[in-house]
Amino acid sequence: MSNTPDPLDPNLAETTGPHVSIVETEDAVERRAKEAYFTASQSQLIWARFKKQRAAMVAAIVLLVLVLSGLFAPFLSPYDPTIAGRDKDYTNGAPQFPQFCDDNGCSVRPFIHAVERERSMATNFRWVTTVNEDKRHYMRFFVEGDDYRLFGFIHMDTHLFGVEDAKIHLFGTDEDGQDIFSRTLHAIWTSMKVGTIGVFIAFVLALIIGGVSGYYGGWIDGVIQMITDAVRTVPAIPLFMAVAAFMPPEMTAESRFFYISLILGFIGWPTLARRVRTHLLTERNQEYILAAQLCGAKPGHVIRKHLLPSFTSYIIVDLVISFPYMVLSETALSFIGLGLKDPVSSLGVMLQKATSADVLLNYQWYFIPVIFFIALVMAFVFVGDGLRDAADPYSDNNK
Amino acid sequence: MLNFSRFVVTRAIMAMITLIIVSLVVFSLMELVPGDCAERYLAFKNTQGSGISVEDIETERKRLGLDQPFLQRWGLWIVNAFQGEFGDSCILRVNIAQLLGSKFWVSLGICLASLTLAYAIAIPVGIISVATNNPYLNNGLRLFSYLGLAMPNFLLALMIMLFSTVWFGETLTGLFSKEYRDAPWDWDKFVDLLKHAWLPIFILGWSATAFALQTVRALMSDEIGKLYVTAASARGVHGRKLLWRYPARHALGPIVNSLGFDLNRIFNELPIVALILTLTEAGALLIEALARSNDQQLAGAIIFLLTASIVTLNFLTDVLLAVIDPRVRKSIIR
Repeated sequence: MSNTPDPLDPNLAETTGPHVSIVETEDAVERRAKEAYFTASQSQLIWARFKKQRAAMVAAIVLLVLVLSGLFAPFLSPYDPTIAGRDKDYTNGAPQFPQFCDDNGCSVRPFIHAVERERSMATNFRWVTTVNEDKRHYMRFFVEGDDYRLFGFIHMDTHLFGVEDAKIHLFGTDEDGQDIFSRTLHAIWTSMKVGTIGVFIAFVLALIIGGVSGYYGGWIDGVIQMITDAVRTVPAIPLFMAVAAFMPPEMTAESRFFYISLILGFIGWPTLARRVRTHLLTERNQEYILAAQLCGAKPGHVIRKHLLPSFTSYIIVDLVISFPYMVLSETALSFIGLGLKDPVSSLGVMLQKATSADVLLNYQWYFIPVIFFIALVMAFVFVGDGLRDAADPYSDNNK
Repeated sequence: MLNFSRFVVTRAIMAMITLIIVSLVVFSLMELVPGDCAERYLAFKNTQGSGISVEDIETERKRLGLDQPFLQRWGLWIVNAFQGEFGDSCILRVNIAQLLGSKFWVSLGICLASLTLAYAIAIPVGIISVATNNPYLNNGLRLFSYLGLAMPNFLLALMIMLFSTVWFGETLTGLFSKEYRDAPWDWDKFVDLLKHAWLPIFILGWSATAFALQTVRALMSDEIGKLYVTAASARGVHGRKLLWRYPARHALGPIVNSLGFDLNRIFNELPIVALILTLTEAGALLIEALARSNDQQLAGAIIFLLTASIVTLNFLTDVLLAVIDPRVRKSIIR
């Protein structure tokens, strides 16, 4: 804890009457700091320790930005991420960067150059796109475009930016002419949704199975642990693939999405369940539990009121740590064609076509979303690590 | 000695039980696939022009023994599986053991090689990084570990392909050169395999190294602060001798224990890396069976084999641990 006085302290903040500076002895400052430390709630302590870790704080900010851009994806992205928002005159198009200056002079308003597509005798009857350096499309903000629903229910058609009389593609377009920038933002949100649902299901299962196992112990624990260990030995992704292969191909994108999240949750529980069990096993022999039991509390009451609060923070940390694995598994599944399918934007779906030599040689901008995903996963891993250090009451002693 | 053999037998029985539970999971999954082998085969025949009827399906079902109750078929499957016999593939109509043949061993070899690579790097680097306490080295390694965790192997494989095609004009894919693809195994074919296999080994080893580094570092930094290390250095043991003789030996136990799960993690990545690099081994066959042809017999066999090798490795590491760690040995003999 730092020794600087707290500005919210009643003695130092606003005093009525003539201004008197209260001189505090060093001893008093220290005592107050200690008092604050001892009376702080668990979450306050964790937050205080978390703030001290620079890497985790940076990661938390990155994470927040990514989550927000995912949440507001329909507004931030200039076009609809599905085939409806495609630019049929600019397929496999290179990224376009807004610029202020060109050979014809500068402008205050950023612009992009016009793109023209031609198919004639001169181009050997193939579509050839050329950039017309003399024609400008100026950028505009808060333009009206494709309809969308913000948060799923607010009907809007205003997008943050766009250009006049044309379309702008910051990250280029794919072979259908879909805007990669729009798709990336939507894909971040898809990953967040899949991860959240998957983690939630895994968490509920882990809580029930690990809870029963850890609370009762004895032979019940033995049997459950044996099954958990057996499930844990099966490599998860081949198992994912096996389960995902059962989805009928005619399934709608929406139900496919929920099915995938469900599978991720159903296969991700064993590790979490083991953690819950270990926490429970150590806590359950504490004296306060014995006291509660002697007072006649029922098992459900003891678990809910006494055991769960004792390790909530650890569980939250575990959830944050297991989140990126859900996201990565979904990406891998979608990539091999067993996960989400086309109308849904997801990194795996977007990368499906990226293995072809054509894309590797000519259209490298297909890989731009990868950077965002590495950032997302890294941010989660760093935040999870920081939270784990912060939630551990002994971490101060080690550092 | 008697106690030790009893320990080995107990572990072997536990491994068996694990395998049986796993086989139940895998077998039930195979059952869940809509449609069974008989229907699939006849549907295939139908596309060849010969008409089929409901009776045909029933006869085929009887021939394959699919009319038996679930538990009986599972029993038969597991008994056969332990003998390395998985029946015929639903689609390809060939014996699975023959179809997999050396492919499974190639996959296992690649995975074990990347596991070895991972620990060959992680153990010395991890120990040195904990011992030297150099902030730059530590932060660099931390970043590397996180990158290894965050960058799924298939992305790494894609990136390597991207760069190799852009700069070298070669995709670096496949497992064998053309002339060796169907050749019988000999030394030249093996050398050819090694020439191609380094890339998948490197890619699979990359994230495994990141994980292994984290394990080694966590264990070492736990051990190095303990009193027996202080006591040893007070007695005048210094430098490398101190590190290797005291904390490293203690940390070794949990590391050996974690090998099984590391192999599990590598198996996870194998099919997807195989798909990208167009390897022709079991992982690619698994994707083929699951994603394209819905061949439940083949998929079940491969998943079972993968799990069986993890269980075997776990069993071996348990025994190895009892041999090298006197504390574990003591607790067995008691």
